[in-house]
Amino acid sequence: MKKSVIFLLVSVFALLPLTYVFAEGQQEAAESEVVEFDFWTTQTQSDRQSTIQVLIDTYTTLYPNVKINLVPVDENDMVSNVQTGAMSGTLPAMIEGSADMHVSFGVEGIIDTDATMDVIEQVGKSNFYEGPLKMLESADGGSYYGVPYHGWIQGIWYRADWFEEAGLEPPTTWDAIAKAAKYFYKPDENQYGILVGTKAESYAEQCFTPFAMSNNAGLFDSDGNLIFNSPEMKEAVEFYGELAKYNPPGPQTWRARDYYLQGKMAMFFYSTYIMDDLALAEVAQGSLTSENFENLKGTSFDPDLVKNTRMAPIVSNDSDAGFGTVVSFTFLNQEDKRITEAASKFVAYLYTQNAYITWLHMAPGGMNPMIRGIAENARFQNDPKGIFKNYGPEKMAEIIDGLNNIESFGIVEGQVIEAASTVTAQQIIPKMLYSITQEGEDVDAAMAMAEEEMEKLLK
Amino acid sequence: MVKSKNISRKIGFYALVFFIVLFAIFPFIQMVSMSLKYQWDWGNPSLIPTQINIEAYKELLNIGQAEKNIPDSIKDLLDNTPDLTKDQRKAIIDKYKDSGNVFPFLKYFGNSLVLSLTAAFLSLCLSIFGAYSFSRLKYSGQSTIQRGVLFVYMFGGILLLIPLYKMASNLGLLSSQTGTFIALLVIYLVQTLPVSLYMLGNFFRTIPYSIEEAAMIEGSSRLGTIVRIIIPLSISSIVTVFIYSFMIAWNEYLYASIFLKGYTDIYTLPMGLRSLFVSKNAIWDRIMAASMLTAMPVIALFMTIQKNLVGGLSSGGVKG
Amino acid sequence: MNNTRKQLDRAQRESILGWGLILPAATIIGLLVLYPIIYNIYLSFFDTSLSGNNTFIGLRNYENVLFDPEFWKAVWTTLIYVVFTTVGTTVFGLIVALVMNKEFPLRGLVRSLLLLPYVAPVISVVFAWKFIFDPVNGLFMDLTVEKLGIFTERFNLIGTPSAAIWVTIIFSIWRNFPFTYLMILSRLQAIDKNLYEAADIDGCGGWSKFRFITLPEVYFVVGSIVLLRVIWNFNKFEDIFLLADNVEVLSVYTYFKAFTGSMEMGQGSSLAVIQFVLLIGFIIYYVKKVLKW
Repeated sequence: MKKSVIFLLVSVFALLPLTYVFAEGQQEAAESEVVEFDFWTTQTQSDRQSTIQVLIDTYTTLYPNVKINLVPVDENDMVSNVQTGAMSGTLPAMIEGSADMHVSFGVEGIIDTDATMDVIEQVGKSNFYEGPLKMLESADGGSYYGVPYHGWIQGIWYRADWFEEAGLEPPTTWDAIAKAAKYFYKPDENQYGILVGTKAESYAEQCFTPFAMSNNAGLFDSDGNLIFNSPEMKEAVEFYGELAKYNPPGPQTWRARDYYLQGKMAMFFYSTYIMDDLALAEVAQGSLTSENFENLKGTSFDPDLVKNTRMAPIVSNDSDAGFGTVVSFTFLNQEDKRITEAASKFVAYLYTQNAYITWLHMAPGGMNPMIRGIAENARFQNDPKGIFKNYGPEKMAEIIDGLNNIESFGIVEGQVIEAASTVTAQQIIPKMLYSITQEGEDVDAAMAMAEEEMEKLLK
Repeated sequence: MVKSKNISRKIGFYALVFFIVLFAIFPFIQMVSMSLKYQWDWGNPSLIPTQINIEAYKELLNIGQAEKNIPDSIKDLLDNTPDLTKDQRKAIIDKYKDSGNVFPFLKYFGNSLVLSLTAAFLSLCLSIFGAYSFSRLKYSGQSTIQRGVLFVYMFGGILLLIPLYKMASNLGLLSSQTGTFIALLVIYLVQTLPVSLYMLGNFFRTIPYSIEEAAMIEGSSRLGTIVRIIIPLSISSIVTVFIYSFMIAWNEYLYASIFLKGYTDIYTLPMGLRSLFVSKNAIWDRIMAASMLTAMPVIALFMTIQKNLVGGLSSGGVKG
Repeated sequence: MNNTRKQLDRAQRESILGWGLILPAATIIGLLVLYPIIYNIYLSFFDTSLSGNNTFIGLRNYENVLFDPEFWKAVWTTLIYVVFTTVGTTVFGLIVALVMNKEFPLRGLVRSLLLLPYVAPVISVVFAWKFIFDPVNGLFMDLTVEKLGIFTERFNLIGTPSAAIWVTIIFSIWRNFPFTYLMILSRLQAIDKNLYEAADIDGCGGWSKFRFITLPEVYFVVGSIVLLRVIWNFNKFEDIFLLADNVEVLSVYTYFKAFTGSMEMGQGSSLAVIQFVLLIGFIIYYVKKVLKW
């Protein structure tokens, strides 16, 4: 009796992995005629993934000979994952990610530009807003490293009620920003002036770029010469270092927006995605207030936070600069052409109005259209969380306009500078900002080092 | 006089015990506390939540999440796709309702369980015979093997990561999900093997030879005595070793993080937890609740074998 | 005559059986531990490219590593980490063992609770630790700045590498003291009670009992634990990387070199070889001098 029980247990354990593997093997065998490919996305939130999955399911139900595996990848891990993928021969057929990253992959020669061109032609080149499309163009012109799909702009979100009470100007100019950051920085009361990125992650570069741009400082001139180490750039870096002093302690990244939501911070850089997050916070609060928790007063719970939050999309100094990111689709070279073909057909489907609006509604405000005619569409404006209604069509027009005029290190006087994307992908600027703000590195020395790194990359 | 000195000594002693216990469990208290707080309560340093919130647990364990609303954008999508049949539409909606788990705990749990149980079980089987061999049989090379076991048991982790990754990649294992799973399974097996061999070897040595000899005189073969005498006599050690190996595999992060990249379907719990943290789903109550759920199984297992562990550890030396 | 042949046969049979039983385990260990060590040495002489083509470059990887100041910084960080964690874990473990060796109510429960840090997965406890040291919302800053006034201003303990190393050291002590205390405790419980009684009769105080009876009895256990702790902490990765990836000990440094950025696996391999050699050197020295084997 006892023996047979032990025997049974033993065989179950021994067979466990076998059946597991076998089950998977069978699946693979049954679907061998089907074209299967991986789709890496930077949308790591699970609710967004399930929406994308619905789009995939709808498509694959219509075209049952395609199988698409959705894989979420954090934006900071994307470059290294593509490298590991290249090594183990497991590159995905398509990626959704920032345009900068796609341009840097294009420079490495791992992008199938025929496929991107194919999609652009199917959608109609003139339907795209020019600005975003330009960002993905190859330096020699004519081919594209990705197809723009959606985009966001970034600005400084701030407590309008605090600013009003203190009699401060909205944070749109260098002076106003610095003044307010200093004014609201009260570490004794655990309150901080501003959040700019100081950790060596892409968020830091996103915060820094508008300061450099508004001071007319770039990485390259229109001929592609490195002009990083300029007096204008140094000024911007120094100003950024000054602002970082009014940050919450230590290296910080977007995660610290929590402190704003808790009423411990006056300003923070963030993309229009926060509109979605703020709406969520509002919903959460709504569910609380309705059940009359009077005893909650005095905690960090602020029912008026959303109402009192405003955005300043432009930073001004010598010139005006906005910052945003275009998110695009791209196709990585595959040995089997059928795979790329299937992937590009799927992307073309995602541009059909029906699928497109469904995608953009995952994060109203954060995901804005890249082709004409969507923003004015009634179904698009009627988003599930009522955000567009809340902010009004003018704000939305402003955002779209901002998107068409995004400035980046990668486009100088209409010329596409591919190398700038490589610099961004390698996070050289965030590393420099980290060493200056956190390790107390001298600005000149840190900039010289960053310049050296950039020169190394250009070789 | 003497009495009061005694009392203050006693108080001092209990204060020390209290301090030690507090030090050991404080992070767990913090974890439980955060997992039960509402978002607006995070800024409050008190460990006691102002209002208890068990949403995070319900969400992770998929309790009471059945009536998930279908957003209009998805309804519109399906309504505007006329080629879909009613059944297909329903299938897509049903799948949507099932998805969107912030942290598919049960799936990761299953992966971790299969991986850890299998690795620990195989390692136990191999090491019972292996340990018997070098601890109770005499042959040339026996002592070399014994020392070799001790030696390999000290090298693991980062030192072998690069060659093992390169080997798996050269063999083409990493280009398929099944291959990756097997590669990781074998690695967990080899990581637990030296520990099991060492612990069991030390234990087998304490069994008197006379018992075994008596059985053999009655006509039992060597293998027969292993099954009939050695295993039943050391069953508590075997269980301890099994649980120990299970824990090593269950808790492993480094190899999982390198090998499983991209294969979300076979993520183990530690890998899933890490990806939850770096994703924008990272909300403290979720992270802490997920941490609790990840830690629970091993904690529960160890509580049950706590008494055996003291003996098991001291005969082993074990991995840290 | 007959008898000796039988015995010979028996010895041979035993030998065959012995090898047969160990063979499966030995093969796996050989293939997945010993071979990789050799393969790693081989790799360390190559420039490994992402496409999988390796080019022989002799000692260049070693040169690159040894002339990199970051490497020496990593060695130094590792040393600090290993020394303080080992000493801290051992001393704290010894104290806990002495406490737990006494009878007191609820000892069983306390014993169970003390196991928690050791058995919980690292990944599941690091987030709680991170939160405790959060500069704005964490309990540690609230306590030391607001309540006790030890520090005058809040700061980011884990964000600052020079401070974060101490957090990782405390974390390591926290995680590993249960193992140390259990090992010492099981030795303590085996000490002959008569020794203490004899000492009582001689009128020895608590300290001298500890000094002359307890310490010699646990000397070898402590010696072995220290050795194991050094070896394990020298190779430690997860406990440091997951809590504070800015504390670059050798293993974290290797990881960054080999698996991020341009993925210099060749240099990573040479780092692993160096780490390996340092470790072996230490073990030989320690076993000879301290354990006097």
